[in-house]
Parts: sequence; structure tokens; C-alpha cells
Amino acid sequence: MVVARADTLQSVELADGVEIQLRVAGPAVRSMAYMIDLLIRIGVDILVAILAFMLLPELVGMEMTNGLFLLFVFFMEWFYNVFFEAGAKGATPGQRSMKLRVMSVTGGPVSLAQAVMRNFLRVVDFMPGLYLTGIVCMLFTKRFQRLGDLVANTVVTYAEVPTFMAPHVEIRAERRAPSKVLTREEQAALLQFLERAPLWADERRIELATLARPLTEAAGVEGLRRLCGMALWLQAPEDKSGTPPSLKGAGMFRS
Amino acid sequence: MTPAQFEKQIEPRWQKLEKLLKEAEKSHPSAEVEELPATFRQVCHDLSVAQHRMSPQRLTQQLNALAIRSYRVLERHSAGGWEAFVRLFLVEFPQAVRAEWKLFWWCTALFYLPAALIAVITPSYPEWAMTLLGPDGMMQIESMYGEASKPSDYVRESFGSGFAAFCFYIWNNVSIDFRTFAGGILGGVGALFVLLFNSIYLGAVFGYVHYSGNPLTLYTWVVAHGAPELTGVVISAMAGMRVGWSVLRPGRVERRTALVLAGRKALPLLVGAAVLTSLAAVLEGFWSPMDLPPVIKFTAGGMCWLLVAMFLMFSGRRQTDAT
Repeated sequence: MVVARADTLQSVELADGVEIQLRVAGPAVRSMAYMIDLLIRIGVDILVAILAFMLLPELVGMEMTNGLFLLFVFFMEWFYNVFFEAGAKGATPGQRSMKLRVMSVTGGPVSLAQAVMRNFLRVVDFMPGLYLTGIVCMLFTKRFQRLGDLVANTVVTYAEVPTFMAPHVEIRAERRAPSKVLTREEQAALLQFLERAPLWADERRIELATLARPLTEAAGVEGLRRLCGMALWLQAPEDKSGTPPSLKGAGMFRS
Repeated sequence: MTPAQFEKQIEPRWQKLEKLLKEAEKSHPSAEVEELPATFRQVCHDLSVAQHRMSPQRLTQQLNALAIRSYRVLERHSAGGWEAFVRLFLVEFPQAVRAEWKLFWWCTALFYLPAALIAVITPSYPEWAMTLLGPDGMMQIESMYGEASKPSDYVRESFGSGFAAFCFYIWNNVSIDFRTFAGGILGGVGALFVLLFNSIYLGAVFGYVHYSGNPLTLYTWVVAHGAPELTGVVISAMAGMRVGWSVLRPGRVERRTALVLAGRKALPLLVGAAVLTSLAAVLEGFWSPMDLPPVIKFTAGGMCWLLVAMFLMFSGRRQTDAT
């Protein structure tokens, strides 16, 4: 499978020999998830504090309530993330709301040990404040891993790969064999172009098609037409369905 | 085969996988899910073929997403519950300490030697300890180990009950263990700093009590819970140093791999340190405040030290790594 280098897709080979692609999440969306988790944690802490100090002192006394509350804070501080990340969903509520998920680098779910590692090291990733160490570390690793992720061997990925529905579009361009022998990567680029072109505005299509000038030897609408023709040829070298003759400009794409 | 035919051909397979996954993600799946691994492998094959043939992205993306989902379901390992935890503490933890015995002795030396040094010189040169402790620290020591005071009174006054004290020690001391470990990743500097700071502070307390308080109260108070607590401090620093050392000297593997391996080795140490510190919190909350004759206190305390030492030396020796 060929992927543009600028993409955030990470190939992982599973034990079963197949290669899957993980879409790793960057610092921005993870910060959002963290903020949501932080708000949830603070909210729960406050709620529990109110309830506990309203109800418990009469039952077990003030000191006991204080102690129990400290224990609760301790567990929330260290095990909130561990509990959710090692759970079946592999994500905290904040991460889930951002459609993120923690995974092992191998593509499998995170184990309890991994969840403990990556979350206990938050202390260092946070230094000297606002997760500066973690963010810098993420920018220097190709899988956006902070220190905790590096030690635990985990990545944060998007849980759902957005499946865009390519509209059924009839592309009216004349099939033509490419003027040069194309590598597999180039062929894939062409096919992806054809698949996505209907989603763009005409100017954008032309702009991108013009980049392929060495191949099409034409600019503007003519370049676009030739490029689409070549992509169509790659899909099926011979025309069996009898496509209607090609039209000009925007008329090429008919849904 | 045209791409369209291919798509049509593989469609029933991935649809079946999708159905099976929905079933498997339920809490009580039917027997049908036994077909999941085989179907998963078929779809993986289809995905490879689709990738190779450069099928449309929507198809490869769909198969890719399905493959990830199935892999999660198939690879989900239960953590093993309490049994695994008990094993981690009783078997893997002492094994890990023995496996890293050099590091253990280094950390032990780095903790106890500076403490001993400060404690010994303080009665003659009390200024250092006084600077370290500060006025608040000295006041606290006076009210705990002074000529006419008892630590149990002080604790009762501050926490109210043994249970409240226990909770406070868990919250405070176990958190410190975790932070010490985390600090270790900075080339061991963080863990080392906490270790040395605790060491010097401890030395200052002991020295200052010898200088102006009643040492017997101090020793009867700390002798029992000191065994797990101080060992926990040393081992949490050791866990941090283990990770830090892999950054400094990765050995024959890449630094990134060394870090992962060190993390795995450090985990039993960290868990062990946390459990020891929690045990110390139990002792410090419930046993240490009891008013008992020093003989009993020292006997029990000695037993604690012996127990911790025996545990680290012998527990889990018969178990092999393979189990």
C-alpha cells in the first residue's frame, strides 16, 4: 500500500503477516482529550468531596472521611487513565470523545503494564509545565510518542479511520495510456487522484493536475483531462461500457 | 478479474467478519465467534491483495479498519486479576531485585551512607541539620521526639485516627515512590535526586533527635515501619535508575528498544516498592502509635527488617521465569 509521506499513517505488520495502517494522533487533538479528562477528573473529585463530606462525617467521623477522600484522590490521580486505557475500550472518556484510542505499537490493545508505564511517566512529560517535555518529545518521534509512550511502547491513534464515501461519478475523459512507464507509487497516486477529484472544486483539480505536467505535457483543463484519462486507463485499459464522449472542463465530472 | 469483480467477491467475507466482531464484542457471545480467527485471516489476505492491486481507498480503508478492530478483539489479554498481582509481588518483584543486585546495593549505599554521615556529624555540628530541617521541621521533631513528648500524641493530634494517618501515608508516600520512578527516566537524575534528598533529610532528623531530643522514642517509633518504608524508597529509586540507565547506556540494542526493555524490568520493582510502602503505611498508621514497652517494639521491628530481607533474598527462588 502506498501512502503519501506527509501523512500520519503508520504501517504495522501484524503477526498474521498483513500490514495495517494506524493513523496516529498529534499533540493538538491529544491535548483536547487531556483537557476533557482533566475537567472530568476535577468534576468527579469535587462531586465526591461534596457527597463524602455531607454524608460520611456522621457515619464514620471527620478524620475517617478526610482519610478516605485522600485515598480517593490518590487513585484518581494515578489510576484514572490506567483504568480506562487498560479497559476494553482502550481509551479514557476524554480520548473517546475525541475518537482516540491507545494502542500498543504492535497494533494490539495495551496491557495493564503498558498503561501503568505510560501514565506514571506523565510526571516527567509534564515538566517543566503544561506537558512541554511530552510535546517536544512527540514532535521528535515519527509516531507522536511522548516519553511515557516510548517506554510503554504505545501510540495514540484515531479509533475510526474516516471512510469517505466517494460519490459515484462518471468521469468523461478519453482513456489514454500514460506516456511513460509509471512506478507503482505513481500509479497509486493517479488512481487516488481520480477517486478524490470529484470532491474538489474545478480550480483545485486543475491546480493539482498541472503538477503532473511532466507526465501529461499539458496544463490547465487539457492537463486535467489527460490525467484523468490516464487514470481511467490504469483502472481498465480497455473501455467496454462505451463511455460517452468526453466533455470540457467541469462537465467532465457527472454524478 | 476486474476491480469491481474483486470487490464483489470479497464483500461477503468482510461483512461476515463485521457481524462476528459485533457478536464478539458482546458480553456473552454465541458459539459462532469461533469462526472469527479464520475469517480474520481471510480478510487480512483480502486486505493484502487489495493493497497490492491498489484498490480504491474506501475499500482498503474499510478492510484496514476491520483488521485493526479484529486484532484488538483477538489480542485482548485479560490482566490476570489478583492472582497475577500477587504473583507479581511475591515472585517477580524479589526476582527482579536479585537480578539487579548491583543496582540495588548502589541505591542502598547512596541512601544509607549520606544519611549515616549527616546523622553522625549533626551532634557535633548541628548547624547543617538545622538549616536542612528549617524551623518548622525542628518544631515538628520537638513535638514528636522531644524529651517529654510522644510521636503517637502528635499523630493523633494531626490525623485523629490511625486509619486517617494510614490514608495520608498512602497518598503521600506512594505518590512519592511513583514520582521518584518517573524522575528516573531523565538519565536517572530525578530518581537520584529524590533518593539523596530523602537520605540527607532522614540523616538530619536522626542527628537532630540525638542532638536535642529523645532518641529512644524515635527508634521505637520508626523501627518497625522503617523496614518496608526505607526499602520501598530505595527500590522505587532503583526502578527509576533502571530506566535512566538504559538511556545512558543502552548496550547492544537501540536506545528506544533499551527503554522499552528497561520499562518491563522496572515494572515489578515499581509495584514492589509501592506495596512495601503501603505495608509501611499500615504499620505506621496502626502499629507504631501503640504504646508498648521498647523491648516489644524492638523485637517486632527487628522481625520486620528480617522479614523484608528474607523476602527479598528468598521469595520466588523456586519459580522459574518461564511460568
